[in-house]
Amino acid sequence: MIKIVSASHYLQPVNDDAALTSLESALKDLCREPFRRIDRFIQLALLGSASCAAGRKLRPNCGIYLGSGLGPIGNNIVTQEQLIRDAEIPKPFNFINTLGSSAGFYVARNLGLQGQNFFISRRGASLQAVLSAVMADMLLGFVTQALVGAVEEVALPLGTHRLRQHLPQDILLAEGSHWLLLQSGAGDSRSLDLQRFAEFTALEDFLGSAWQAGDRLCCATSMDNRVADTLRQGFAAGALPDADGAFHDSLEAAWLAAFAAGSEPGNLFLVDGHRQRGWSLFHLGA
Amino acid sequence: MAGAYIRGVGLSCALGEDSESCVSAMQRRQVQPVRLRLDEFDEPLLMPYYRIPDRSELFDAGRFERLLPPVARAAVAQAGLTTAEIRRLPMFIGSSCFSIGLSESRYATALTQQPETAIPMPLCGYQDIAVILQRTLGCEGDTYTYNTACTSSANALLAALRMIELGWYRQALVVGAELANRTTLAGFSGLQIVAETLQPFDAARKGLLLGEGIGAVLLSAETDSASRLRVIGGASNCDTWSVTTANTDGNSVAKVLNQVLHQTRVQPQQVRGIKAHGTATPTGDAAEARGLQQVFASLPPVSALKPHLGHTLGACCVNELILYAGALLRGFLPATPGFETPDPVLGVYPLKTMDAAPDGHYLLNHFGFGGNNTVLALEKTAP
Repeated sequence: MIKIVSASHYLQPVNDDAALTSLESALKDLCREPFRRIDRFIQLALLGSASCAAGRKLRPNCGIYLGSGLGPIGNNIVTQEQLIRDAEIPKPFNFINTLGSSAGFYVARNLGLQGQNFFISRRGASLQAVLSAVMADMLLGFVTQALVGAVEEVALPLGTHRLRQHLPQDILLAEGSHWLLLQSGAGDSRSLDLQRFAEFTALEDFLGSAWQAGDRLCCATSMDNRVADTLRQGFAAGALPDADGAFHDSLEAAWLAAFAAGSEPGNLFLVDGHRQRGWSLFHLGA
Repeated sequence: MAGAYIRGVGLSCALGEDSESCVSAMQRRQVQPVRLRLDEFDEPLLMPYYRIPDRSELFDAGRFERLLPPVARAAVAQAGLTTAEIRRLPMFIGSSCFSIGLSESRYATALTQQPETAIPMPLCGYQDIAVILQRTLGCEGDTYTYNTACTSSANALLAALRMIELGWYRQALVVGAELANRTTLAGFSGLQIVAETLQPFDAARKGLLLGEGIGAVLLSAETDSASRLRVIGGASNCDTWSVTTANTDGNSVAKVLNQVLHQTRVQPQQVRGIKAHGTATPTGDAAEARGLQQVFASLPPVSALKPHLGHTLGACCVNELILYAGALLRGFLPATPGFETPDPVLGVYPLKTMDAAPDGHYLLNHFGFGGNNTVLALEKTAP
């Protein structure tokens, strides 16, 4: 049995005329040492992971599974401007921080962890990728405790950030850092499990048997709209908090972490999939 | 542990543009790096570089589109998958560059043509390799893209192995891809760890040489009569001593090696050979050597393959696995060109000449920026 021991949820909409919220003060309280040469993506990862782990002594071999669609985009922009526009060799810390694994390094260092440390991406579905990876490792017994997060950074100006992602210019953007602390074993906290189905009808049948009044259903943003609508109609799903429709590339993480961090009763089901690759059902137990 | 069989491979690197010719070229110690010169900086950037011997210009924006599909197709074709299996095939991708080279090209062009509207990082995210491969192979399965620096494709392979063992997938395509780009070349130059010659574990080692390469491995739960190689396990950990290298005391390296041996129930004395990470940086080799010394009372034969193809960074695991596996199947352990003078402090003496490769167990080491250490175990069985 995999349990969600704690969760943290940071979702900050970014307005067109505003600067990004400073994270420095929050990090001073959460980090055990003042890290230099870190970028905003690393700051967001530290903020979310430290909040999730606050007040707990993690096992040294606790795994870190960090997902992101865009990664450290702000630092990557600075590095590319140095290199291409200014014809300068990138500064060493800018270059090193282009790697997704740098954020996991600082998270591990801040929390004193030495276990597996992975950065995994799947555009529009990074949470599903990291959850699949961590659950495989936990089911096989390679990991008994894991911090699982999704981090998405916004780089100003917003118009350009939308262009890069081929998003409409009127969409509200958000930054996010959403984390779950998972642990193998029994306990009172919510459970997390993953069911995989080759056929859609099998998924529907399973949901039909498991569904209870008050449960929530999320359809992944990457799913076919018609299939998602079929499910939503069939299971009369309640809406989840989504910060007034603000978007980032790992919205599923925002939904799950908000639900796990809250005190609502009932189950949450997250569905993702495709008729060719099959269907995944992530289930946060009541 | 059931493990997963290697049913197909494809490779394109400095040694050649198919896996068999790459292994042959490695056997003959045939390849030397080319000399690169980038003139756009105040001081020209000069370095040796192991490039894929295709005819295109090194920074040609279309190289990924041209070079990726044939490598993946070769691995899939060798495994003899059905059309339905290919359509469902999941992909596990490891890279540290992704489409950064294409992004650089587009930004540079925009700065020249329309500087006022030029956008840095016009391409963002990590999906492009998966998109190209899915489109050209006709796959629609799950994709997992790993970016953990030089362990990227090792961690991708480890995840594929575990999901196959769980029965989630019957087959998986693991791809490592690293092509020349200015960010990597200039970035490593700025770190001042690029040398003129690549001499792993040598007393005179001064640093690494970069290379490019694309490798693909088709892993399968099922064997066939030709499958003699099986990935039987692997482990990964994080060393937070420094963001650029494992602790030179070797403790985190020893720990991950011991995890793999414990997990696969292989005793140190049963290991027939080790494919070292062997970057030839002073601290990287020191950490690896001290870790090996802690685990092995008597070291099995060590091969460091980067002198044959350069350090292909996020792709190095898959690329070097294919070369090492190819050598094992031909019955030899690869030599390590560039290793001449033993470093008594390290006590690791890679093979100067090829040696025989018996059936049995082999370990493959990978270490990367961000504190990532990943070791895989391979078993070679009799025909």
